[in-house]
Amino acid sequence: MSGGGSLERERRQAYLLVAPAVVVLAGVALYPILAAVWLSLHRFILVFGERRFTGLDNYAFLLSDARFWSALGNTAYFTLVAVTVELLLAVPLALLLNRAFPGRGLLRASVLVPWAIPTVVSARLWAWMFNPEYGLINRMLPGSDINWLGAPGYALHAAILVDVWKTTPFVALLVLAGLQGIGEDLYKAARVDGASNWRMFRSITLPLLKPALLLALLFRSLDAFRVFDAIYVLTEGGPANTTETLSIYAYKTLMRSGDFGYGSALSVATFLCVVVLAAVWLRLLGREEGAR
Amino acid sequence: MGRHNASLLALGLAVLAVAVGACRRASEETGAPAGRTRLVFKYQPLWGAPEPFRELLARFERENPGVELVTEALPNSSDLAHQFFLTSLEGGAEDFDVLVADVVWVPEFARAGWIADLSEYFPPERLREDFFPGPVEAVVVEGRTYAVPWYLDVGVLYYRKDLVPRAPRTYEELQRYAREAMAKAPGVQGYVWQGRQYEGLSCNVYEALWGHGGEALGEGGRVLLDSKPAREALEYLRGLVRSGVSPETVTGFSEEEARRVFQEGRAVFMRNWPYAWSEAQKPDSPIRGKVGIAPLPTVSGEPGWGTLGGWQLAVNAHVSPERRRLAAKLIAHLTSPEANLVLALNYARNPPRPSVYEDPRLRAADPFIANLKEMVERSRPRPVTPYYNLIADVLQSEFSAAVAGLRTPEEALKRAQKQVDHLTGVGE
Repeated sequence: MSGGGSLERERRQAYLLVAPAVVVLAGVALYPILAAVWLSLHRFILVFGERRFTGLDNYAFLLSDARFWSALGNTAYFTLVAVTVELLLAVPLALLLNRAFPGRGLLRASVLVPWAIPTVVSARLWAWMFNPEYGLINRMLPGSDINWLGAPGYALHAAILVDVWKTTPFVALLVLAGLQGIGEDLYKAARVDGASNWRMFRSITLPLLKPALLLALLFRSLDAFRVFDAIYVLTEGGPANTTETLSIYAYKTLMRSGDFGYGSALSVATFLCVVVLAAVWLRLLGREEGAR
Repeated sequence: MGRHNASLLALGLAVLAVAVGACRRASEETGAPAGRTRLVFKYQPLWGAPEPFRELLARFERENPGVELVTEALPNSSDLAHQFFLTSLEGGAEDFDVLVADVVWVPEFARAGWIADLSEYFPPERLREDFFPGPVEAVVVEGRTYAVPWYLDVGVLYYRKDLVPRAPRTYEELQRYAREAMAKAPGVQGYVWQGRQYEGLSCNVYEALWGHGGEALGEGGRVLLDSKPAREALEYLRGLVRSGVSPETVTGFSEEEARRVFQEGRAVFMRNWPYAWSEAQKPDSPIRGKVGIAPLPTVSGEPGWGTLGGWQLAVNAHVSPERRRLAAKLIAHLTSPEANLVLALNYARNPPRPSVYEDPRLRAADPFIANLKEMVERSRPRPVTPYYNLIADVLQSEFSAAVAGLRTPEEALKRAQKQVDHLTGVGE
């Protein structure tokens, strides 16, 4: 009985200890989210002083809004392709960086340079390189000039290329951290058993790397889904909205048009997508932890 | 080590002392002396030597001894400046009195009640007498004056005098001349303009629409898109790309991309704003002396209408009546013919008053601006509606879809009309 009482006390103490954190989170995260949800239930256009409650009208319009679906499609495509390519490039890069060789520290640091440059700066840089008339990329490629940022189909891929260039190092670093957690003994034992390098990679490295990979996927897919700056600098969503992502659509609606009601509905929709994505990854990650 | 620390400490104290001194001085400056009114003017930097403009402002202070004039800079990008006003004026900001407004903002700000009705100081009839019709149309909302044109911009056609016989008057002529010149001079492109998805594209499309005899606004102020002239305009622009008169890459061009191609001598024609002229005439420019400027072509051959750009001065509606009166006085000072001349001669800003173009001082010092009169006269605003910023995005994306060949002009215009009607509340 007395044991239960102390547990109760301990629990109360625990609540007290986390209370400040909860208050801060509620203030800086929960309140803005709820405010956005509340706004999204209104027709609220700044310029006209028009603000009235319309219930779910904005969401009904959203479901039939072709531009929303195209933005969602662009965002999903961008996320899927960019994150996949980044991961495929990052694993070999991390394996390489994990080897002992002279100048490794310097190389590890320099790999991070693209990630350290502010996105707006590097996106501007790439915009010049993509320039069809005098850009570096068309000069280097044989054949006729490609209209990178002006042709539908090319523009989104150009943006993906910039994102891959920028964040592959970050993913590689996460994977590298995972690699360093794998004990050298396992490889030694495998080598004694006569396992090939490929076999070791498949049976030791990959399975033990899974948590790190899932973590990288979680970070990157959430990040990629909210992509804004790189694409905004490169194309502002053009041509014909073929590179418009959810964040860009929401930004334009909110800040350019001043349509706060519908803009908030778009933000809430983006938020929900990200929550679902995060829940899936966290569940996979949790299962991974549980299996250990 | 000890000495090191001591000198560091001394340095730190010195920095601190300077900082405190600076703060004190700053706080003394901000508090205007009793009996003087502080008037704040928010505008975008004019580029160029600051002295002539400072002198213009100082003259106002000399003529109005009770007034202390303060200028504050806005972001150079029109979008960012708009964002600033959207948030600050909505919040009831009173910390600035006079503001610059882009042509497409005036009806919006007026409708929102953010800028003051200036009709008592600048009656619409008087504006119509003194200024070009295009800018007046943009600042007079429902018969009341809400802003005064400050300087303006207009879309014009640049052509290469060495490659074509004369400026083309019709679209057909432009394409024929372009093809002939391209055949004569390989490696040279025909016609470059602004086809990227942004506001510049809308300007290009409206110019083509007017050139095909269309109007921006229909009955009851409805923004008219799904119309025959609009279809023909987009078909013409798309046709330029498809037929090779304009390079494919034009769908990614804004002003600077087009200007660079033209500047390097690699294009016969260019649609742009007058700013490109001085660049073309620089001593090391490959096209120096080979460039002409003309009104845009049309279907019928009459001189075309260029999109009106440029800035107006308005008064923050939240400030007190006394400051409002002074603000109107400042606007009168800054938009006088004399001030127009200062801006034209020192900053290459085109005057909004026809009379200034006849001024012998302008004719002598800057014949280029003086000769723009023909084009400025025919400048037209994009649809004058409080909803413009709300619909600009839709226009840009659907126009872009048509120009890039993603949708037929008909389809793009139908979609645009549907979205614009929804946003402006037509048919609701």
